[in-house]
Amino acid sequence: MDTLLSVENLSVSFKTDEGVITPVQGVSFTVARGKTLGLVGESGSGKSVSTKALMRLLPGSATIAPEAKMHYLDKHDKLIEIEKLKGKGAPIRALRGGEIGMIFQEPMASFSPVYTIGNQMIEAIRLHKKLGKREARAHAIEMLDKVGISNPQARVDQYPHEMSGGMRQRAMIALALSAGPALLIADEPTTALDVTIQAQVLELMSDLQKDLGMGMIFITHDLGVIAQIADEVAVMYLGTIVERGPTRDVIHNPAHPYTVGLLEAIPSLDRLDERLKPVPGDIPSPNERPQGCPFQTRCQHVVDGLCNQTAPLETPLAAGHSVRCWLHDEKGKSAA
Amino acid sequence: MLRFTFERALGMIVTMFFVSIMVFFIMEIPPGDYADRYAFRKYSGTGVNVTEADIQAIRRELGLDKGMIFRYFDWIGGIVLRGDFGQAFAFETSVVKVIGDKAWLTLGILFSTLLITYIVSIPVGIYAAVRRGSAADYGLTIFSYLGLALPNFLLALILLYFANKYFDADIGGLFSPRYADAPWSLGKFWDLITHLWLPAFVLAWSAVAYQIQTVRATMSDELNKLSVTAARARGVPEAKLLIKYPARLAINPVVSTIGFDVNRIFSELPIVAVVLGLTELGELLLRAYLDLDMYVAGAILLLLTAMIVIMNFVSDLLLAWLDPRIKLGA
Repeated sequence: MDTLLSVENLSVSFKTDEGVITPVQGVSFTVARGKTLGLVGESGSGKSVSTKALMRLLPGSATIAPEAKMHYLDKHDKLIEIEKLKGKGAPIRALRGGEIGMIFQEPMASFSPVYTIGNQMIEAIRLHKKLGKREARAHAIEMLDKVGISNPQARVDQYPHEMSGGMRQRAMIALALSAGPALLIADEPTTALDVTIQAQVLELMSDLQKDLGMGMIFITHDLGVIAQIADEVAVMYLGTIVERGPTRDVIHNPAHPYTVGLLEAIPSLDRLDERLKPVPGDIPSPNERPQGCPFQTRCQHVVDGLCNQTAPLETPLAAGHSVRCWLHDEKGKSAA
Repeated sequence: MLRFTFERALGMIVTMFFVSIMVFFIMEIPPGDYADRYAFRKYSGTGVNVTEADIQAIRRELGLDKGMIFRYFDWIGGIVLRGDFGQAFAFETSVVKVIGDKAWLTLGILFSTLLITYIVSIPVGIYAAVRRGSAADYGLTIFSYLGLALPNFLLALILLYFANKYFDADIGGLFSPRYADAPWSLGKFWDLITHLWLPAFVLAWSAVAYQIQTVRATMSDELNKLSVTAARARGVPEAKLLIKYPARLAINPVVSTIGFDVNRIFSELPIVAVVLGLTELGELLLRAYLDLDMYVAGAILLLLTAMIVIMNFVSDLLLAWLDPRIKLGA
């Protein structure tokens, strides 16, 4: 497999008024060229922070731990060590947008309201491609057409507030893709949309990905969405990846109690008369991290004296499928 | 944009019409008129017995005997059609001659004050927001409070004192003695500039302090917007990013209060003018009121309000240009 991005041992901490918190702890994952990695988890599980660290978009109060490695193979097959780049300057700017594109949950808020869609697209295109104004505009129109916006010649001169929500998200995708990134980070791109439009946008994204051969990191809290789009999935809980593997494998044979809980919480038309089963409890705040396994406060299978003492290590289960849970570890099995 | 401009311009004309009516009738409110004052001045102490008929004669001579409505249309018609603001009775010449130079100097002070205010406060406010929490930010905040707390005329006095004591500079007035009565020339213009900065600085002082805080607050908000992060994630260089995305919206409240700034400058100008020995309109306005020299007072009031209305119009246009969403509501 052709690895595009590999992240190893990424930890991010923030200085806050209540002390130092570490919302991302020792996260590792890889993205293959042309494949999609789904990052799943509740709000506060560190999904967005990890990807912001990749783009070096974290605020000044954040530090990336020195042992972290973020290696990216760029379009010219040159290895870029993102963790060693300076936060400002040409190398990181070339990476942002040109190599790694990003789309966000709120399409309205991610466009500036005072410039036309075209203005913002042409700016991005000309930053990363050596094109004149006219060619850049033609390229912007082409991209709008590609994401299924009708009458792109007119739409390109519209302001974001003149478009509907679904249209804006399409335009946002066009904007992120117009500079030709090899990796797209999509941070809950469908969460703010109606269900019907959600399905259209998902289909569009998966088509575009195949078309352009892009790698993608798709962040969501919805395992149902992951099933439709991702090749691999990583489930995050409180800043750690608790389970990862090929999507089909993880969805059909979930190993971690948290993954099981998430799958059971998905509403289904086949089980209309059953009550939904939410994962009990709330995700603890990052400054009250439980000792041992991060999930032990909400886990129904918690093993006293083990889960609440030491954090489990990653245990391989099948090809590419691994879990961080004592229940699947020899030591844990014997204790349970 | 054309339609928007036209609508606002129309609104401006309507406003000016009502303002002119108000100004005229305010001028009519004080008891008596210039005829009384003229008679009193001319004959008091001479022992001549002034009859009501004499005053009526003066009134007729000055054109004050006609009806109020007639005189309003005569007055406003002269202004609009011929640029004639009427007679300055006390000076025995036309209002245009009396006001002329003073009006230009007042405008000069006004625009240099506005220029200093915005040139200083906008970049400094942006800088403070970007470097939020740094020593420079705290320093600027302290300066701002100082600026808001110190009255203008006191600052003017302090500056006069220091300039005089340490630099031996003559900064009172708007011209050096040798240019005061000279005709306009490049030298005189430069002389004006070297004198103008002081009143402009004094008048801009509190506005700068205030607007720095405004820009800093809105800029801090704008910096946290997702659109700014999104633009950064597209690789937009930081300096261009700051100006194009957050700063453009952050100066919104500053632009929308240009009219207020003009108003404030006009109200603070007279006292600063007295301290610095300037000749400007405010002082003349006061004297015209005391003398019941109504056309002079009217012309000054009209000019000052026209300036405020025009600057409001400019502020509207700038706002619409800064934020295209505004035009939708029009």
